[in-house]
Order: sequence, then structure tokens, then C-alpha cells
Amino acid sequence: MPQDNEQANNPGDRRKFIVISTIGASAACALFPFVTGIPSVLDPVTREDGNAKVPWTKVAALASLPEDGTPTKFEVVLAKVKDAWTTYTDIPAGAVYLTRKGDEVVSYNLRCPHLGCAIDYRKDSNDYFCPCHNSTYGLDGSVTNDDSPSPRGMDTMETKVEDGQVWIQFQQFRPNVAEKIPLS
Amino acid sequence: MKRLVNWLDDRSGIRGLVKEALYEKVPGGARWRYVWGSCLTFVFFVQIVTGTLLWMFYSPSTQTAWESVYFLEHQVEGGWFLRGVHHYMAQAMIVLLVLHLMQVVIDGAYKAPRELNFWFGILMMGVTLALSLTGYLLPWDQKGYWATAVATNLMAEVPIIGPAIQKIVVGGVEYGHHTLTRFFAFHAGVLPATLVGLVVAHIYLFRKHGIHVKERRPRRDCYFWPEQILKDAVACLAVLLAVVTLTIYFDGAPLGPPADPSSEFPARPEWYFLFLFQLLKYVPAFWGAVIIPVFLVTWMFLQPFIAKKQWGHKFNVGFWWTLIAGAVMLTFLAVSEDRANPKHAAALKEADWQANRVIDIANKEGIPPTGAVSLLRKDPENLGRRLFSTHCSSCHRYNGHDGRGFPVSEKQSAADLAGFGSVTWIARLLDHDQYVSEKYFGGTKFKDGTMVKKALAKYDDEEKKLLPEIAKLLANEAKLPYESPLEEDKREELLSLFYNDDGLFEDGRACIDCHDIDSEDEGSAPDLTGYGSRDWLIAFIENPEDKRFYGKKNDRMPCYGRDGKLKPDEIELIADWIRAQPGQ
Repeated sequence: MPQDNEQANNPGDRRKFIVISTIGASAACALFPFVTGIPSVLDPVTREDGNAKVPWTKVAALASLPEDGTPTKFEVVLAKVKDAWTTYTDIPAGAVYLTRKGDEVVSYNLRCPHLGCAIDYRKDSNDYFCPCHNSTYGLDGSVTNDDSPSPRGMDTMETKVEDGQVWIQFQQFRPNVAEKIPLS
Repeated sequence: MKRLVNWLDDRSGIRGLVKEALYEKVPGGARWRYVWGSCLTFVFFVQIVTGTLLWMFYSPSTQTAWESVYFLEHQVEGGWFLRGVHHYMAQAMIVLLVLHLMQVVIDGAYKAPRELNFWFGILMMGVTLALSLTGYLLPWDQKGYWATAVATNLMAEVPIIGPAIQKIVVGGVEYGHHTLTRFFAFHAGVLPATLVGLVVAHIYLFRKHGIHVKERRPRRDCYFWPEQILKDAVACLAVLLAVVTLTIYFDGAPLGPPADPSSEFPARPEWYFLFLFQLLKYVPAFWGAVIIPVFLVTWMFLQPFIAKKQWGHKFNVGFWWTLIAGAVMLTFLAVSEDRANPKHAAALKEADWQANRVIDIANKEGIPPTGAVSLLRKDPENLGRRLFSTHCSSCHRYNGHDGRGFPVSEKQSAADLAGFGSVTWIARLLDHDQYVSEKYFGGTKFKDGTMVKKALAKYDDEEKKLLPEIAKLLANEAKLPYESPLEEDKREELLSLFYNDDGLFEDGRACIDCHDIDSEDEGSAPDLTGYGSRDWLIAFIENPEDKRFYGKKNDRMPCYGRDGKLKPDEIELIADWIRAQPGQ
């Protein structure tokens, strides 16, 4: 609150005291409601979800993947997803491309590591292409074009094959950085 | 800094504005009695800020309103405090509003030339009350749901357009998503925006006419800054302190069980509306909703003119005091009627139980997309006590009540089943005086039955000492979740007592003379194998007339399963609930 110079220069101690107390009390009143909300608004930042173990999720049958390594898109249905107060069960939470080499399977997250758009698989050029900012990736997920804005290749996830079923540990990663850092 | 202010001032004239704002003359010097308006403005400011913050967490729909408030209250850091401040600040606003109003009335500040500003004040009061009414529903808990039902039904009393108004406000015929979206839009958009406009007009007019000084004062005039502002700020701090104290003392704002149209709740409005609530017990809804309000508002608007007449001002002041006294009296009546009503107390306790229960489940298991109300509807404990209350409590009792804590008006005619099958429960059953008392078989024909006449009434002191041992044996049959099973040796020993192997009971008075355990024979009285166990209890509720139980001797106990009065899963719920915890 700006003070009037003439008033502030008034030598009276009493007045000085009144002015300071007034500013103090008014400031306290004005700040109070904002301060009240700070912990709640900052809650998502301070919330420690901990390094909860990423669960294994069954995505597809191995037999449903073409043996020549052509990518196939599958939705990932997670057993349990918490969104604030709601707990969902068996809900699609994302999608992956699976490619098969013999009995080995590699999974690629659908999300572009640049800024999170959904990546397309282009059949005619047999590569991956992000329709937002034109990042292109080879079938092994690596960036193929120098003009691609993506700082890293497509994100792979832990994948295993058991009893003819493909399981993955589905995760999202921080976009637009060179290293692959899981989001939690 | 000074250069920056100069730059800003050249372009905005901010110095002049601030001067204008701060150097308002206060004739006769700063006084505490001028603080109310500033306090109200401050409280409204706090409501806007905290309300906007709450907005970041709130989700208006029938499956997410209660849930999002629960989440803020119980999962988000500091959420309970934020919501508590908003809740109690709203109550402070009502109190300050009445104080401000009464001061204006008593000092005659509503008279010419300030009529217009007085009317703005009355409008602001209306908007504030509408804010609190709409805010009451938003958590979508039982309290808000049922109270709002009453409030919106009153709207329909307005002639001709009433039903249409109600539909517009409710967003249809039934309360649902659109009731919440509309109430939220009113509460967070329409009403606050209106209030901001009115506040601006109110303050503008206040400045135009200056402070209304009731009597000449010897002290010299001063300016708003800093003396009066200091007094205002100190008063605001006091309000703040009161609100924070209330918030901490009550652990934030209350959150009842989620709204459930199928589960009754005694609707009560917020305390400052209780007088209206009480009034509706005495006058027809049309009078309460239309005639009286229209009369009062008309009178309020006419007040400045009435004041011009001789005695007019005195009449106005007197009428206000009468209104306040009436409101206080009605509030007092409303509160004391509820206090004197044990059913109301039980309903509040039940609502508390449900709220704690659903919050407990939500904390542990999360909330399904169908909303928290489905947690309660599926909760075996909640269902068990409800089923007991509906189907069993007209004859039986549970700790003296209906299973949910409500008193029962019918006379008890069958046993109190709290702790049924436990050692304590059976030990009391085997005591003659208890057996024939209302708590056990006093209300049935068994009080004159063979068990009383041939056994219980005749036991000598030595035999009576053995009965608690028998109770242990029988309770062991129930395998209750809260009692530990007997050692095999001990059971054998007690069984031998039951069979009267050592002749400790006189002939004809031993249990085995009529009842059986672990044998193929059929006694003349109910077989006690597995007595009180889950299977036993389910089979018993299904058909007490089975020869394994009372057979033809059954006294009025309905055959719930055999006659299709309850579904198998309902019988299981009742049995599980009865067996879940010890009696009190």
C-alpha cells in the first residue's frame, strides 16, 4: 500500500505505529485466503506416490502378432487405475505397438516422446510417424530423420512372453528430454 | 520504486485513485461502530478467493460431487482447512450482515438521502442468502440433498410461474446432474458476480453520501487512512481468528453421507434458516414461501418512506427487533424440538455412522465410478442393519434399538439379538430371571415353557454354577468371529457336562434331556449342534418351524426363507451382521 510522503514524514511515533499496524493487519487479512489454499493447490507436487511397482499387464496373445515384425497396435487395459477419488477397474489406459521377432516381443508406447501426441504406424513406408510435429521413427523405434524434433527414440517398456501371452509393464515417460525418465 | 510508481501514475492516475480511496473523511473520528461494512467486504473477498480455490477441486455431478469433496477433505493436503474456512466464513458473513443491517436501522442510516443504498443492501442480503442456500447443496450429502429438496419445493408455491421456476432451478423434475451444475453456476458464477456489482454500487453510494454520523461528537474529524482502516483491519482479524478457531475446533466443515434418495434423512437447513424451517410447521407453505417474504421485502423497501412519518423510524426499529426476536424464538423452538426428539438424535447418529463408514471404505478401497453411494448400498454391514431394522426389529431388538440406533415404538416381543450366541449372551439366557425378561423370551410363550418350568426355575445353587460352563460350550458352537474357539479337551469336558455323564444335574433338568448336540437323535427341544453358527442362523431364519428348530412350537417367528419374505442373500446379510460384533 503506497504511503503518502507527507503523512509518513510526520514525526509522531503514535502515527508511525498506527500506519505500521494498519499495513500489517491489512496485509495479514489480504494474504490469509491465499495462504489457506496453498497446501491444497500444491498437493499434486508434494504428493509422494512413491516408487510403486509397475504391474505386469497382459496385452495380447503372441499368436496374434505377425511373425514378420510388422507393428500391431493394442490397447492396454489396466486392472486398477486411480484418478483422484475414482478407482477404475479394467480400464483402457493407453496403447502400445508390439513387434515380434521369433518368440521375442518389443513394445513401444504410442505416445510420442517429443510432446505426447499419438504416433501412427505408416504401412506404405513401414515406419512410425508422429502427425503433430513430424517426428519419424524406424521400426526399432529410433529417430530416423534429422528434422525430427523428438529428442529420443520411441519409448520401449519391459516386455515378456509367458504361456503364449504378451505381458508388459506399462508406463509413461517424461516428454522432450533425451533420457527416458518414468513419470510417477 | 518511485520512478516505477511515477511511470504507472502517468499512465493510470493510480495515485489519485489511492488517495481518493484512502482519504475519505470520517466525521467525528474513527469509530468501532463503522467496521461492519468493511468486515463484510473482507469476508466476501475471502469467500471469493477460497471459493475459487475450492473450485479447483470440485466436480459437479451426482457421482462426483460428494466424491470430490471427500477427496479434498480426506486426501488433499490442507483441504479440510480450506473448505472449513469457506464454510465458517459463510456463517460469519450472515452474522456480520445482521449486525451491519441492525446498525444501519438503529442509526437511521437508511433514511434519505441513503434510501437507494439501503435497497442495495437489502438486495445484497438476498443474494448472500441465495449463496448460502446454493452452497449447502454442492457437497451432495444427505443433509444438503434433503434440505434443498424442501427449499426448491417452496419455490413451486409461487403462483402461476412457481412450478416453472422450480424446474429451471432444479434443471428438471428430479434432482440430479443438472441440479448440481445449475446450483454450482449460481453459487460460483451468477450470484458472486451479482454481489460484486452490488458491492461496487453500495460502496460508491456510501462514498457519495459519506459516513452516517448518528450524533455530533466532540472529537475532530479524521481520514479513513489510517485510523479507521486500522480499526477495520483489527475487526477483520478478529473475524478471521473466530473462523480459524471454529475450523480447527470442528475439524473443518461437516460432510454427511452421500445423497441417497432412497435413504431417509431429517432435512434441516443451516442454523440461520432454522426459523424459516420452524415457521413452516405453523403456516401453510404458500404463506411461508410467498406471502410473508413478499410482505417483508415490501416493508423493507418502504422503510425509508415510513421513517418520514412521525414515529416511523421508531416503528421500523421496533419491527426489526420484533422480527429478530421472532427468529430467535423460532430457532430456539426448532432446536429444542429436535433435542427432545430421540428419533432425531438417532437419525443424526445414524447419518454420522454412515458418513464414517463410507469414508472408511473409500479410504481403504477407493470409490468406484458409480459413486460413493454405491459403496454404502453394497456394504454388508450397512445392509445388515437396515434389513434387521426393517424385518426383525418390530419384535426383536439390538442393544435395545432397531439395529440402527432408532427407538422402536412397538413393544419388544422377542429376544434382543446383540451379541447373539456369545458366551455372555447365552449365560444370561440361562439365568432364569433374564430368560423370562423382555430381553430374552419374556415376550414369547416360551416364558411359560418347559425350559423355564422344568429346568431354569428349579436349578439349585450347585447347578446354577454349572450354567456358565454350558454357555461356553454353546457359544463355541456359534464360532463367532470375535470369540476364540475352545480347546478340544475342554470341549469334550463340557460336552460331558451337557450329556450329564456325571449326573451333576438332577434327572430331568439336564440339557440332554431335551436338547441334542452332535447326535443323530432328535430331542423334544431345538437341536443345539452348531447353535448360533452362520449355517445354523441362516437355516433358522429361513425356517424356524423346521423340526430341527422349534417345529410346531414356533411362536410367531416368520419363516422368512420358506415363505419367500426375504431373498437368500438378504438372510445371509442379516445372519452375518448379527454375528459380526458383541453386544453392549
